[in-house]
Amino acid sequence: MSELSRRAMLAGTGAALVAAPASARISPNSLKPLIGPGYRPTETDEKGLWQQMERVEEEVAGSNLLIRDPALNSYLQGLIGKVGGPAAKDMRIYLARVPEFNAMMFPTGFTVFFSGLLLRMRDEAQLAGVIAHESSHFLLRHQIRSWRDMKRKTNIFAGLAMAAGMAGGVTGTYTGDLVRLAELGTILTLFRYSRQLEAESDALGVKLIADAGYAPLSMSETWDQLITELEWSAKERRKRVDRGYSLFATHPAPRERLKDLAVSAQELTVPGRSYDRGRERYLKALAPIRASLFDDQVRLNDPGASQYIVETLARDGWNGTLLFYRGEVHRLREGIQNQQAAALNYAQAVTYPDAPADAWRWHGVMLMKQGRVAEGRTALSRYLTMAPSAPDAPFVRQMIQG
Amino acid sequence: MRTTITKLALGGALALALSACSSVGGGGVGLSPYGLVRAGQTYNVGSGAMSVTSPREWNRQGGFSFNDVRWVEDWTLNGPYLDGVTFVTGLPDNKRLIWQEYKADRQVPRFRSTMTAPEVASLLETLFRVEGGAVEFRTLGLAPRTFLGTNGFQLDFEHLDGDEVWRKGRAVGAVIDGRLYLILLDAARAHYYPQALPDYEAMVRSAVRRR
Repeated sequence: MSELSRRAMLAGTGAALVAAPASARISPNSLKPLIGPGYRPTETDEKGLWQQMERVEEEVAGSNLLIRDPALNSYLQGLIGKVGGPAAKDMRIYLARVPEFNAMMFPTGFTVFFSGLLLRMRDEAQLAGVIAHESSHFLLRHQIRSWRDMKRKTNIFAGLAMAAGMAGGVTGTYTGDLVRLAELGTILTLFRYSRQLEAESDALGVKLIADAGYAPLSMSETWDQLITELEWSAKERRKRVDRGYSLFATHPAPRERLKDLAVSAQELTVPGRSYDRGRERYLKALAPIRASLFDDQVRLNDPGASQYIVETLARDGWNGTLLFYRGEVHRLREGIQNQQAAALNYAQAVTYPDAPADAWRWHGVMLMKQGRVAEGRTALSRYLTMAPSAPDAPFVRQMIQG
Repeated sequence: MRTTITKLALGGALALALSACSSVGGGGVGLSPYGLVRAGQTYNVGSGAMSVTSPREWNRQGGFSFNDVRWVEDWTLNGPYLDGVTFVTGLPDNKRLIWQEYKADRQVPRFRSTMTAPEVASLLETLFRVEGGAVEFRTLGLAPRTFLGTNGFQLDFEHLDGDEVWRKGRAVGAVIDGRLYLILLDAARAHYYPQALPDYEAMVRSAVRRR
């Protein structure tokens, strides 16, 4: 719906609709976790589901797509400890190297986070929000509830076959073979939560982070970032936001949701209390892999999305790293203006002390292409000084010598 | 698509098998999308702007997949999941190495005749990430190398793909008169890459620009 027609509709239906928050909002204080520590299934169907999931977890745990940095993994596990509610000790987190925003919780309490999610988070409060949301699916037993609901409604075997077909046709969004492992793809499709269940997880999630002392508003910010990123991506390619984006295949996220989250956040915010964002802690934990996360995203040449991500992270201040990656986004785009913009961004990036060596290399290459050979050689020499054993050093040396 | 860069290898092959297309070149039988490359015989590849000679029999993939471009041709020894050599024969300015939907979210950049070797290397990286499903891509080396009698480059790389297999590759290329000429090997890192490398090197040495 266009902005204009939406306004017209709101005007037509009266002020009440405009003033009231979306009617489906669930009050955070109305929800209680349904499971406690050490939960084990007692009913037959749930036991069967758990057995299958244990196999899936074995495969996930052995995947070489996982990022195994021990410090980062224990940091993530520590965050579950803070916002995972009563079952925090029973939950496991796996970090997969997939450049997408996605996270999924399995019925047995293990969760898979995609690395693209970590790139997009501005601080620990935002990440804690996503973890709390996923934990809430587990705490509220959403997987078994939606599984049973689906079983009631359909012939489960027909459903499985159909879901398998759908999982095979993931549209344009690369999620890696993790999703194809075992019956993971099928199961994920079956666990597509209803809006009601998502609303529940949002409500309990925001309460969990507020209780842990994180800024409750961070959750609605995250969803806003995600939706806007998709809009920028689509706009760049001159199309509508309707692709089967992996996240929204499993997480319906209309704008109403983030409005509800903002209202709940307000409700939970205690006046005068200071809330933690944990930005420094977050950046420190992410530091060992952050450059590779940027590379994984930016080099996919989805410029609308990548530029939005860079600019969102730059809300906390521009630096050499962010300017370098903004240059990379432009360099892979078409047209002479983008090449010029790339050159400009590299030139700006190298004025910051944190500019990566690669910024000097591309700065030098761009200068050489502009015919500014002497300056180009100086920049390339700086690159070699910073990264003397860079894999492309032999070629760069030749460029310097002419 | 795994190893050969220009075709949705299995997708293309299966579609062809189902529609019972005949093979190209000599030696293939009925349903195969491949033609036989004979040892020691010289072949014009891609658009015909380059010829190569292989020391061993290879399989030449016919140019009939929907995402082919005419300047690019793929060969394989043991099937595209395991190994492949790709020939790029004079790709002109503003063209891509593969055909893509113009609205694809993720696009392989177009080749520009002003591109330097680091830019071509970056173009290849994006190709492997966007179309090959590479989760991780490492540049192992970029060095000057003579190709087709001119100053070119050699790029060595390896990548981990979504099927959890590490693959390794080498590309030797040059931009001549504003067009890209390139021969690229990409194969499973264990066994298949070292096994195909001598053939690949012989092909690179044998390459002749035809026009």
